[in-house]
Amino acid sequence: MTAPLPDRTEICLLLERVSQQDKLAFRALYDAAGPKLMGVLLRILGTRSEAEDALQEVFTRVWLRAGRFDPTRGAGMTWLIALSRNHAIDRLRARKPEQSDDEAASRIPDTAPRAETRLIAKGEARRVSECFDSLEPQRADAVRGAYLDGLSYDALAARHNIPLNTMRTWLRRSLLKLRECLDQ
Amino acid sequence: MTDAPLTPFDDRDALAAEYVLGVLDLAERAAAEAQIKSDPEFAALVHRWEQRLAPLNDDIAPEPVPPAVWTRIDARLFPKAAPPARKSWRLWLAGAVTAGIVVFGILTLMPPTARGTVIASLGAAESTLIYEARHDGTHLLVTRVAGSPAPEGQTHELWVIAPGAAPVSLGLLGVDPLDVEYPRPPAGWVLAVSVEPAGGSPTGAPTGPVILTAEL
Repeated sequence: MTAPLPDRTEICLLLERVSQQDKLAFRALYDAAGPKLMGVLLRILGTRSEAEDALQEVFTRVWLRAGRFDPTRGAGMTWLIALSRNHAIDRLRARKPEQSDDEAASRIPDTAPRAETRLIAKGEARRVSECFDSLEPQRADAVRGAYLDGLSYDALAARHNIPLNTMRTWLRRSLLKLRECLDQ
Repeated sequence: MTDAPLTPFDDRDALAAEYVLGVLDLAERAAAEAQIKSDPEFAALVHRWEQRLAPLNDDIAPEPVPPAVWTRIDARLFPKAAPPARKSWRLWLAGAVTAGIVVFGILTLMPPTARGTVIASLGAAESTLIYEARHDGTHLLVTRVAGSPAPEGQTHELWVIAPGAAPVSLGLLGVDPLDVEYPRPPAGWVLAVSVEPAGGSPTGAPTGPVILTAEL
């Protein structure tokens, strides 16, 4: 079992204090959000040493950019995870193409939702889960794989053994279908 | 599933979703990032997708973070005393010099005029570009005093390099002066400016040419 997510309101308040250059709040934010962000970075980057480097960079940016977080536009944790994912994916894509694709394609797929997540899924999470179920399983798997593991179109096409253009058409259609379901 | 072409709106929204998913290659990603900065409507589409897909974050288990990571963050952001070793930044600087860049750093201790004290002037012999770095006790202020900003699609990024340490980004140098809370870097530290893709270095380390440096 994993520890429950830190209170989102708490993250929001800490981010607000960090934007006022409050170092104690920065440390508290690091303690509260660091392990989750480490999980996000490790999942995408694949090695602990690179995930640790990325986490250091992410928190440097958090310190410098916390003022850009707008609590009226979403949860603090969502903002932190988006920042982390963007940084991790930038790092992945900046690697040499053959390297990242081979690594990504050979990494063991781990895109099924964990059992405990299914059990605690409620509200938004359940909605997302239902909408994913409305897609063909392979396509749902491709969207999850891209989001959670940072797979590129090349890597997805290789994993599903279909041409890149077909993959792209597939994925774009699936995303728009998801949007339709999620926005209902 | 139908093969009819997407409407222009769906096409843009699909691009926003592809950006959030992370499936785009480096060039497409850079283009999308530039669009996020220049087009608030597109930025809103991206933000909407971040919110839509956020429940997937629950599928990621937290991982322990070794204590050394905090030590490194603390040392980067809140430097204390300056150790005297100077070997590693000289090595780093050598790269810039071989790239044909003549470097001069001026340490000026002029009396405070605008805000703070000038602590460095960053220039290069064959360039008209000059940035001036000031420190007012709590903030580092970096202003372009001569030359032009980075061309469209690129940006100047400011780095601080502690002796023996890797460069740390302090932010992007756009049209407005950079104003960041940062302790006054001690003597022996180096400020440097590199050219990066719009939005800043994607890796956290300088990726483009280092065009200006100054030792404090």
